[in-house]
Amino acid sequence: MASLMRPTTLLRQTALASRSAAFARPAAVRAAAFQTSSRKSAILPAGPQVIQGGVNDPAPIPTPSAAHGSYHWAFERLVAAGLVPLTIAPFAAGSLNPTLDAIFCGTLLIHSHMGFQQVVIDYIPQKGWPKLRKGATWLLNLVTLMVGVGLYEFETNDVGITEGVKRVWTAKAGTE
Amino acid sequence: MFALRSSAPRVLGRVSAVRPATSTMLQRGMATVNDPPAEKEQSKMKTFSIYRWNPENPSEKPRMQSYTLDLNKTGPMMLDALIRIKNELDPTLTFRRSCREGICGSCAMNINGQNTLACLCRIPTESKDDVKLYPLPHTYVVKDLVPDLTHFYKQYKSIKPYLQRDTPSPDGKEYRQTKEDRKKLDGLYECILCACCSTSCPSYWWNSEEYLGPAILLQSYRWLADSRDERTAERKTNLENSMSLYRCHTILNCTRTCPKGLNPGKAIAEIKKQMALGA
Repeated sequence: MASLMRPTTLLRQTALASRSAAFARPAAVRAAAFQTSSRKSAILPAGPQVIQGGVNDPAPIPTPSAAHGSYHWAFERLVAAGLVPLTIAPFAAGSLNPTLDAIFCGTLLIHSHMGFQQVVIDYIPQKGWPKLRKGATWLLNLVTLMVGVGLYEFETNDVGITEGVKRVWTAKAGTE
Repeated sequence: MFALRSSAPRVLGRVSAVRPATSTMLQRGMATVNDPPAEKEQSKMKTFSIYRWNPENPSEKPRMQSYTLDLNKTGPMMLDALIRIKNELDPTLTFRRSCREGICGSCAMNINGQNTLACLCRIPTESKDDVKLYPLPHTYVVKDLVPDLTHFYKQYKSIKPYLQRDTPSPDGKEYRQTKEDRKKLDGLYECILCACCSTSCPSYWWNSEEYLGPAILLQSYRWLADSRDERTAERKTNLENSMSLYRCHTILNCTRTCPKGLNPGKAIAEIKKQMALGA
């Protein structure tokens, strides 16, 4: 099936761009399009080029949303910058404050969540793999929640993250 | 190349008036003999390994084809070599070129792993290694070294790259701007849209359908920075989403590769700053 499909999907679509809007890009064909050898690659190959609209139409502009745009970006930078003094503070002050530790944990969690969110957006495009994208987003949410619970447990029932790192840092081999 | 061409008629006249079908090759062979003794220094052979793919045979895999030229008879630039290969060795080799002086952006390609303009790239003479020529990376190839830039131009069109104004100029003449305002456009207006930067950007490789890429964002900033343009707010709103602008992760391949020495990375940073501060 895939080999029968190949010549048609491989044809360049520049000149046919306006007609290619009707091209539905079924998932099975997409994966098989450039598979010229029998060996399956671990990375999915790029699908055939799809150009929406005619060659002289502008590329579509997504619906504007500052929450996903400039606010998101600014928040990300603030969190990242805020982590620097939060990391140094307990060591500079020489004492451990549970509230400060909690704020640090929360910021760290948000920071890593947003970082991995970027990875998901980058590598699993909404256009190509909408279901995989949704799955990855929810997996990330779940992992963040689990890490959050774990940090809460560590903070409340154990020494907390700052003290934990401090002990690992200064630990000497063989002295337990 | 020039020596070959100029000496050919002379040889033709001397050899015979009747021209056999095979004489073309003969003339070329003899032309080298007529070279002045000053050029007698040993020939500098260079091999060019070029990406070939023909849309006529779509089931055939892309391959690398090698051509060897004597650099003493070739111009100094990569484009000179390509033109000579097409003229003398293989007329089926396909590439885009126009101005041969780095102002049209047609001959953008990947030379020895770096996106650049063939007309601005010297043939490296210090090493004996093969020169490798590929089309711009992560583009759909039309044929050989010709990439399909349809989507790139569609994206350019989507940012409305022209002056948008509602108020007429006070004296009915041209829209004036101060020298300081004009200076803001230096380093932006020089962009020739060769797509070297966009196709060197890993973020654009993964998300070229939605992310605009460094070249288009540099142009976007060129209009955001223009004191005469009155649609700054609209232009910024069009970038307010997760894909168009914010897929830039400051990798800076764009700045490193730009054959015109521009700084798309800085332009994108300026847009981000404007968007965050609302300035």
